[in-house]
Amino acid sequence: MTKLYEPSLPKLMEAIATEAKGMRGMDRRNFLKGGIAAVAGLSSVQMIPKANASANLPPNLPEWQSYLGRGVVAKPYGDPSEFEDLQRRTVPWLTADAASSISMTPLQDLEGIITPSGVVFERYHGGIPNVNPDQHRLIIHGLVERPLVLTMDDLRRFPSVSQIRFIECPANGGMEWRGAQMEALQFTHGMLSCCEWTGVKLSTLLEEVGVKPEGKWILAEGADAAGMSRSIPLEKALDDTIIAWGQNGEALRPEQGYPLRMLNPGWEGNTSVKWLRRLEIGDQPWHHREETSKYTDLMPDGRSRRFTYEQECNSVVTSPCPEKPLMQRGFVEIRGLAWSGRGKIKAVDVSLDGGVNWQRTELGELVIPKALTQFSLKTQWNGEPWLLQSRAIDETGYVQPTLKQLRDERGGWSIYHKNSIHTWNVTESGEVFNVQIT
Amino acid sequence: MFKLPNLAVAAAAIVLAGAVQAGPLGIGSTATPEMIAGWDIDIRPDGMGLPPGRGSVAEGEPLYEAKCASCHGLFGEGEGRWPILAGGEGTLDTLHPEKTVGSYWPYASTLWDYIHRAMPYPAPQSLTDDETYAISAYVLYLNDIVDDDFVADRESFAAVKMPNEPNFYIDNRPDVQNTRCMENCADPANFTIVTTINGVTPTGHFKEDSGVAANHYGDSEPAVKAVEVAMSDAATAGKSVYDKACQACHGMGVAGAPKVGDASAWVDRIQTGMASMSSNAINGYQGPNGVMPAKGGNMSLSDEEVSMA
Ligand code: HEC
Ligand code: HEC
Repeated sequence: MTKLYEPSLPKLMEAIATEAKGMRGMDRRNFLKGGIAAVAGLSSVQMIPKANASANLPPNLPEWQSYLGRGVVAKPYGDPSEFEDLQRRTVPWLTADAASSISMTPLQDLEGIITPSGVVFERYHGGIPNVNPDQHRLIIHGLVERPLVLTMDDLRRFPSVSQIRFIECPANGGMEWRGAQMEALQFTHGMLSCCEWTGVKLSTLLEEVGVKPEGKWILAEGADAAGMSRSIPLEKALDDTIIAWGQNGEALRPEQGYPLRMLNPGWEGNTSVKWLRRLEIGDQPWHHREETSKYTDLMPDGRSRRFTYEQECNSVVTSPCPEKPLMQRGFVEIRGLAWSGRGKIKAVDVSLDGGVNWQRTELGELVIPKALTQFSLKTQWNGEPWLLQSRAIDETGYVQPTLKQLRDERGGWSIYHKNSIHTWNVTESGEVFNVQIT
Repeated sequence: MFKLPNLAVAAAAIVLAGAVQAGPLGIGSTATPEMIAGWDIDIRPDGMGLPPGRGSVAEGEPLYEAKCASCHGLFGEGEGRWPILAGGEGTLDTLHPEKTVGSYWPYASTLWDYIHRAMPYPAPQSLTDDETYAISAYVLYLNDIVDDDFVADRESFAAVKMPNEPNFYIDNRPDVQNTRCMENCADPANFTIVTTINGVTPTGHFKEDSGVAANHYGDSEPAVKAVEVAMSDAATAGKSVYDKACQACHGMGVAGAPKVGDASAWVDRIQTGMASMSSNAINGYQGPNGVMPAKGGNMSLSDEEVSMA
């Protein structure tokens, strides 16, 4: 049953939202409740255009089974079913211009741990450059024995690796530091994606150029209008940084740095410089704009942390969530995602009462370091309100903190690295709201 | 059929590179000093990378007003939602910290590096070294970090100290320690439940009401869309120029620039005749609503390209 009406759910929600627009306060609440309760009934009508909905339901022969469908290569590069509505969305008031802005991944609509390339979150500081791969070069120079210029063909000759890793913007959740703001999972946690990346380990390239003993830092620079640049310590480069050209089985998407990007697994997304054109080896960091003015964390005493690279252990319940309310009483599988920039997820617990009591969850089959990891709790819901939370623990033993713990330590102005336990208030109607417990 | 390039030639190149001494896998070519020089644009706090050249605060003022002020404001106060570049001293430990070049940035070298690589926003890497010295000096002057007679060059610029430099320290996380308590971990009697502020979640998605002024999200429909519909085929040649260099200001009605598709703002201007408008766009001018930088700040556009936009 559920499957049948899911495709048109977003459209219905939109219709309900449009209707609710002018309303305020209790009127609005009641209308939304009624609207959502009506979704199940309305949706089947919506889903099948023209014809009487029941014409396709058992025991009748569905319309689409009564004639031949599209043949091979009707679409040489396929796209999702027309009944799907998977899209990145942005928060327009955040930034002055779309070329220096952010859009979020629709975590609420995704299945499994891989983010489809078309909805990986976007963050640009000067828009997406249209790079011709034949004319793209990577120069490696500075404190090296052999400065090299590499074509894309050269790069593909190196031994390669394919790894599933998440990328998260350190500002993910940053809008919520001082209070709950966003009534949607996509906006509270959507600056997060996880793909399979293919490329060469940076350590392999560094052997090829021969880093001089004084070499301690690497400047990575992009070929975009922002000339994005970040200082990366040599230890990271020798550990697990990859220089990637592949994403989810094909070339990188332009949005993710086509034809070449850096990938610093587990580190704040901004360090994974896209459209990579240059690596310079030096003896000290460069302190460029994206590691001084931005991507530094202001503490309550007015001082700031710099080089806050790691994305600490985090998790969130993805179903139910504001976009995916509970539709039926009875059995429910609470699902979510957990991740840690320091390695594998060891365990995830879920609380239904705002963190008073916790239950262990089951992890998904794939538990990969620095990758999204699924968790699930099978339970019953009978209309009682929940304060639904998840709490992840990583292999270093680090336990995802409460919001209060983070705020006590860091105040409310650090913008970045908010990885606290998140709370969804599931109401008796099944609607889900973003709340904070203080 | 896929044809391989002439392998003999490729092999000869490898032998040559080999003479320089190849890496373990012998892949790639030597990056020549000339190649590196063109791309090696980074500046460091110790002055590494600062090129020869000079520029004074006095020279920086008109350059800044022509190329930067339309977004960042005449005094660095920021137009609309474009970044603020000056002010905010003494606010970092308050409830309303204002992070600017003067109040926050630890190193002056970052300013030179960033302006040279990324500004003006619609025309990155278009400033000469002398212009970058002059504009950087002027931005420092707007922040009371140098005096009005300051002349920036390699030595004087590298010597500038920024007031907030001592206040940065290396990441010291993990800084909080939660424990894995399973039962009776909190007292619900102490809970305060804070809900969201109405009206900040974007609409057109699903539920939302209009709690805040429409301009917080209502203007999200890009004005550029209107261009796509309204433009004739003949005008589409100008579209890519527009996208590259003009859209930043004209797409959003920033700093007094008339929005494309904003009929009332354009009518007056169209009446002065396309030729005069276009010469204004090419040479830059100070109109009643703000400063239109010459060629939108992108000196590499030909005059014909600008007229088509
Ligand atoms: C069309 C608008 C526009 C113009 C014109 C412009 N800028 Fe900017 N400027 C921006 C935007 C947008 C950003 C932020 C970019 C980002 O998000 O990475 C920015 C960022 C900056 C910053 C960094 C601010 C911070 O706190 O991190 C400096 C400094 C700066 N600009 C200087 C200049 C100078 C100098 C000029 C003139 C040569 C100039 N800008 C012209 C739009 C503009
Ligand atoms: C840094 C912001 C900025 C950029 C970039 C920019 N403009 Fe402008 N433009 C302005 C402002 C501000 C005005 C309005 C000046 C006034 O009338 O007060 C303007 C006015 C104009 C006018 C009307 C002039 C008149 O005669 O009234 C034209 C035409 C124009 N711009 C074309 C362009 C073109 C073409 C480009 C791209 C090559 C461009 N602009 C890029 C800010 C900008």
